[in-house]
Amino acid sequence: MAHSDSPSLVRRLGAGTVETAATIGAMLALLGRILARATPKRFDRRELVRHLEFMAIESLPIVIVTALFTGAIVVIQATPVVQRFGAEGLLGWGAGFGVLREIGPLLTALMISGRVGANNTADLGTMVVTEQVDGLRALAIDPLEYLVVPRFFGLVTTLTLMTVFSDLLALFGAAIAGQALIGLSMHGFYNGIAGGLIQFKDVAHGLIKSVAFGLIVALSSCHFGLATSGGAPGVGRSVKASVVTSAAGIFALDYFLSFVVP
Amino acid sequence: MSERETLIRFDRITKAFGDRTILDGVSFDVRRGEVFFVIGASGVGKSVTIKHLVGLLRPDSGDVWFDGQEVSRLSEEAFFPVRKRVAMVFQYATLFDSMTCLENIALPLEKHRGLTRDDALLEARRLLDRVHLGKFGERFPAELGDGMKKRVAIARALTVNPEVILFDEPTTSLDPVSARRVDTLIRELSDTLGVTAIVVSHDLTSIFGIADRIVMLYRGKVRTIGDRDHFRHTEDGVVRQFVGGLADGPMEFG
Amino acid sequence: MKNPMETPPPLTEHDAFLVRLGRVCIDGFEGGRALSSLFLRTLWFTFRGSRPKGATAHEAFEIGNKSLGFLALTMGFIGMILVYQSAVQLGRLVPDYTMVGANYGELLVRELGPTIGALMLATRVGAGMAAELASMVVTEQVDALRLCAADPVDFLVVPRFLASLVMTLMVVVLSSAFAYGTGAVTAFIAFDVRFDVFANLSLIDFGDVMTGLAKCVAYGAAIPICSCHCGLEAYGGSAGVGRATTAAVVLSSLAIIVLNFFISAGAFLVGL
Repeated sequence: MAHSDSPSLVRRLGAGTVETAATIGAMLALLGRILARATPKRFDRRELVRHLEFMAIESLPIVIVTALFTGAIVVIQATPVVQRFGAEGLLGWGAGFGVLREIGPLLTALMISGRVGANNTADLGTMVVTEQVDGLRALAIDPLEYLVVPRFFGLVTTLTLMTVFSDLLALFGAAIAGQALIGLSMHGFYNGIAGGLIQFKDVAHGLIKSVAFGLIVALSSCHFGLATSGGAPGVGRSVKASVVTSAAGIFALDYFLSFVVP
Repeated sequence: MSERETLIRFDRITKAFGDRTILDGVSFDVRRGEVFFVIGASGVGKSVTIKHLVGLLRPDSGDVWFDGQEVSRLSEEAFFPVRKRVAMVFQYATLFDSMTCLENIALPLEKHRGLTRDDALLEARRLLDRVHLGKFGERFPAELGDGMKKRVAIARALTVNPEVILFDEPTTSLDPVSARRVDTLIRELSDTLGVTAIVVSHDLTSIFGIADRIVMLYRGKVRTIGDRDHFRHTEDGVVRQFVGGLADGPMEFG
Repeated sequence: MKNPMETPPPLTEHDAFLVRLGRVCIDGFEGGRALSSLFLRTLWFTFRGSRPKGATAHEAFEIGNKSLGFLALTMGFIGMILVYQSAVQLGRLVPDYTMVGANYGELLVRELGPTIGALMLATRVGAGMAAELASMVVTEQVDALRLCAADPVDFLVVPRFLASLVMTLMVVVLSSAFAYGTGAVTAFIAFDVRFDVFANLSLIDFGDVMTGLAKCVAYGAAIPICSCHCGLEAYGGSAGVGRATTAAVVLSSLAIIVLNFFISAGAFLVGL
C-alpha cells in the first residue's frame, strides 16, 4: 500500500499542528500588513470599486439560487415541527429566526467563499506563478497595496452586502414554500416574522457574523493566493487550500460568535 | 571604447535553493552605459544572479553594490527607490493579462509620477511608439505575439526612466526576425538614452551581435569575462564549446 | 436585399442585457447537456470499463480518510452551533428543553448531516478533483492518455465517481455521529439537558433515514460529476486551472443545494 510507510499518527498530528499554527500566524501577519496599508493616502479607490463591481456580479446568481432554495428548505424542515406544536402561525418566526441568525450568513459565506474567494485565490495565484507579482515589485509598485488591499476590502464588503440581500431572498423563498406546502398566506408568514418574536438583535447577530466571515474568507483567499508556487498544479492546490481553510474558519468563528454575540 | 566607471558590482554572491547550491561565489562588475551579457547553460543561475539586483531574491552571502550603495540587505520598502532606477523585463514578459497594452504601461506612470489617467495613457502611447508598437495599444497581451509582448514589456520598463534595464532571456522562444528586432531595440536604448543593459541570454546571435562585454557562468562560478573578441578567441574548452554550440566537449551538466 | 457584411447597429444597454441573458441560458443548457453526457458515460464505463486495479481504492482513501478530519471539525462546530441556536429559539417560546435532542436528531439525519457534510466535501474533494484533472488537461497529460487509447472518463472519472459514492455515505455518517456528540455536550453544558434525555431517537422514523440516504447517494454522485466536468473542460495554463477549481466548488455546491430542495420537497410530498 502507498501509505503503509507513512509516519506515525503522533508525528502527523504534530506536523499538522505546527503547519496550522504557521498558517494562522502567516494570515495574521498578512492582516497586519494589509491594515497598515489601508490609510486613505495609499488606498486605491478605483481598484476597490472595480473589484466590488466584479465581485458583486460574480456572486449574484449563486446567492439568488442558494437563498431561494435554502429558504424553501428551511420551511420544508420546519413544517413538521410547527405542525407537531399545532402552531402554523409560528412558521414565519421559526424560519426567520433560523435564516437571519444562522443559515443566511453561513450559507452565503460558504457560497461566496467558493465563488469569489476561490476566484480571488486563483487570480492572485496565477499572477504569482506567471511572475506578474514580481513584475509589479520590479516596477516599484507594492503588490499588497495594489493587488491585495482592494480585494480584501472588496470581499468583506461584498459578503456583508450579499448577506443582507440573501436574508431577504431566503425569507421570500420561505414564504413561497410556506404558501405552497401548508397554505400559509404570505401575510400570515410576514406576521410571524414581524410579530415581535424576532428582534433587531437577531438581524444584527447575523450581520456581525457575516463581517467576521468576510474577514476570514478575504484573508485566507489572499494568503493562499500569494503563497502559490509550482505552476498550474500549484494554482489548483492553492484554491483548494483556500476554500478548505475558509470553510473551517467560517465554522469555527460561527461557533464562537454564536455564544459571544447576543 | 573608453573606460567607464563601475555602476554595479556583484561581490562573492552565493545562493542555494534547498540543498541545491546555484551560485557559489559569483563576482563581476558592470560599467555605466554598456550592454552587458550574462551567458551560460540553462539552469546555471543567470536569472537568479540578476534578480538579486532588484531584490526579488536575496543572497545567502555576498554583497550587491549599486551606484556605491550595498542593496542586498535593504528591506522591501527601501528597495522601491532602487527599483525605480533599475527596471526589469521578465522572460515571459509578465504583462498584466487583465489590462490592455496601454493600461499596462500607464499603471506605473499613474503610481509613480502622479499623472492622471488620461495623461498616463497619452504618455503610454508615446512609449509604445518608441518600441514601434503604437498601433497595438488597445490590444490585450493574450492577442499579441511573444516578440511584441516583450517589446511592450520593455516600454513598460521605460516608464520609470531607468538607468539600468535587466533583460531576462529577451530573445528566447522568439522567431529569428522578432529576436533581431528586440536586439536592435536594446542596442538603440543603450546608444540613445545611455541606459545600462544587463542581458541574460544563451542566444549566440544576440551575444555576438550587440554585447559590449560578456560574463560566462559555469557551475556556480564566473568562468570568464571579457568583450566579444575575447570570447571568439578564447583557449578555454568549456567556453569554446558553448560559444561554438557544440554537442561534445568538456562541459558538464547538472 | 440587406448586405450581410453590414455591421449590426450598436447594442443598447437593454439589448446587451438581453444578449447576456440569452448567453447565460445557452451556457446553462449546454452545461446541463455536458453534465448529463458525462454522467451517462461514467455509468457506461462503470460496468464496461477496464481501469487499473486499485484506482478506486486509492481515490476512496483520498476522499474518505483524508476528508474525515475536516468533516468532523466543521460538523462538530455546526452541531454545537445548531443545538445552541435552536435551544435559544425554543427558550423564547417555552423554556422546556427536553425535546431539543429529539428534534436535533431528526434534523441531523434528514437534512444537516447529508447537506452540510456534502457541502464541505464539495469544497474539499470537489476542489481537489478539479485541480488534479485540470492540471492534467493543461499539461496535456489527458491527451497523452487518449493517445494510449485509454478513455479519460474510464480512467479518471469512474474511480472518483465510485469512490465518492461509497465514501460520501461513510464520511457523512461518521461526521454526523460526531456532530450529534458535540450537540449533546453543548445541550448538557449550556442548557443542563442530561445525555439520556438528549439521546431521544423517537422522532427518527423510516422516512427520515430514507431521505438522508437518498441525499447521500445523490450528493455522492453529483460532486465527482460536477468537479470532473469542470476539471476536464479546463484550458489555458495556470489561469485555467484556477478557473476550473473555482467553477467546481461553485457547481458542486449549487448542485447540492438544488438536489436538496428537490429531494426534501419530494419526501415531504410523498409524506416520508
